[in-house]
Amino acid sequence: MNVIEVQNLRKEFNSYTSRPGLAGAFRDLFTRNYKVHAAVDNISLTVKQGEMVGYIGENGAGKSTTIKMLTGILTPTSGSIMVNGMNPHKQREEFVRTIGVVFGQRSQLWWDIAVQESFRLLKKVYRVSDEDYNRHMGHVIETLEIGPLLDKPVRKLSLGQRMRCELAAALVHNPPLLFLDEPTIGLDVLVKLKIRKFLQEINEQYKTTILLTTHDLTDIEALCERVVLLDEGKIIYDGKLNQLQEHAVEGKQIEFEFLSEVPRSSLPRVENIQWEQKDATTWLGYINGDEQMVSRLISDVVQRNPIKNVRINEVSTEEIVRKIYEEGMALT
Amino acid sequence: MFYLSLFFQYASQYLKTRLTYRADTVIEILSDLLFQAVNLIFILVVFRHTAFLGGWNRDEIIFIYGFFLVPYAIFSSFFNIWDFNDRYIIKGEMDRILTRPVHSLFQIILERIELESLFGAVTGLLVMGYSIVNLGLTFTWYDVLLFIVMVFGGAFIYAGIFISIASIGFWSDSRTDIMPMMYNISNYGRYPVNIYNKVIQFVLTWILPFAFVGVYPASYFLNREEWYGYAFFTPVMGILFFGIAILLWNAGVKKYRGAGN
Repeated sequence: MNVIEVQNLRKEFNSYTSRPGLAGAFRDLFTRNYKVHAAVDNISLTVKQGEMVGYIGENGAGKSTTIKMLTGILTPTSGSIMVNGMNPHKQREEFVRTIGVVFGQRSQLWWDIAVQESFRLLKKVYRVSDEDYNRHMGHVIETLEIGPLLDKPVRKLSLGQRMRCELAAALVHNPPLLFLDEPTIGLDVLVKLKIRKFLQEINEQYKTTILLTTHDLTDIEALCERVVLLDEGKIIYDGKLNQLQEHAVEGKQIEFEFLSEVPRSSLPRVENIQWEQKDATTWLGYINGDEQMVSRLISDVVQRNPIKNVRINEVSTEEIVRKIYEEGMALT
Repeated sequence: MFYLSLFFQYASQYLKTRLTYRADTVIEILSDLLFQAVNLIFILVVFRHTAFLGGWNRDEIIFIYGFFLVPYAIFSSFFNIWDFNDRYIIKGEMDRILTRPVHSLFQIILERIELESLFGAVTGLLVMGYSIVNLGLTFTWYDVLLFIVMVFGGAFIYAGIFISIASIGFWSDSRTDIMPMMYNISNYGRYPVNIYNKVIQFVLTWILPFAFVGVYPASYFLNREEWYGYAFFTPVMGILFFGIAILLWNAGVKKYRGAGN
């Protein structure tokens, strides 16, 4: 079953450019130079129930705009959206009861009141029965370890504590679909791990579908099998994360740290290898080939030169993504 | 029914926070009282120089002021949307509102209630009481009902105008400074409209109908029969302006552009 079905979705914003100088400002009063800019440019996307999808892209690539259309906050310029079988903007009030939303940079909780009072208000807003609330939230509170925080006002919580409470608040009505917009921004590693573990748990237990945007690609590596890559409002990759890695990386990188300075001439001259000097005693070898070639190269180099350290570097998703954006790599 | 119980939940939460900041609340009530006293003194000073203002005597003007305070108190307790543009559109709080299954305007009203402003209604009743005694007015039982209808009519006119102005924020993201100006204009409704020139009278009656919050409905209780037509039109104007405001708001929400991160 498809939880999210999006076809040719497009969102345009009008922005105006101001003319320079006083005379220009005066002309702006009467006629403005409008420029139409498509923040989301004809994207199509389907997400099945129980999937965890990483939605990544640079700042301004259109991630937040897409999420805001999927959650019914913004009206699309054109295209069709069906989420949980409803049109988010047209049936907003009915629709939002079936989703949970966490905006990492914006609080859902009331600043001045205790966390549990916030939960109680949300329970009322979402019309959750006492039974459902106790059964479900008891578990959420326990897993996120926020029990001791419940009677503190939100403004007294640390960022990590607040974020866990935000997550719990988004789940008061146990929604089958969860949108997380940068949920781990600014959090330390321990809290990140806790949140990831929790997301995996609810995904397994309730088959909750999760759409996640983040700048921290380790989140995506830990959680999502599928990634959607966005650039200038267009989807440039939609598929499995490990395939993205295979596609994007030609070979491996080996770092040789020598005992003394080594000239380029004493390194093996083989096809498929490119050398790059990192510092006086360190060389990086980019090799385009399989494991056998790697070990042959290492033995070759080590035989000729006294060596201090050798490291085979896995290319991280972050690097892949950086490469994609920098080099405009075409992916299909 | 759901909306009503939601209202009580929010209101009780509001009172709870208010009770933790007691000093704050007391100071707010006192500053409101001071503000109202200054207005009253202004009326008194004016009437040291003249016995009538456009055919109205001192106690009648005081009655109008007292009446005005009641719908105004209701308006300022429940419709604190003068900073809507800054708080909800520029800061992007509207995003949060729109992800919850309750009408967006109602949520904002709930979040922004300021129940201590209702204290102004008590002041208004006292001021009216004072002038009723001086004028020797008498009332029948249905006058109480009419009073309630007129008060809500006036509060809805106020709410309608301010919601309409707040809705502009959905279309234009530049900061509008109409709000403070509107608060100034609204003050004109506290005085008899016939002291102003014809254009201002027209504006205060049909375009920004603040006269329906003070002088028109009050004239009914003052037995000024020449204004009765206007007085009974108060609830109609209230429903009309509030209705238009809701339509504008709903249209505006569709145009909401969101704030960037």
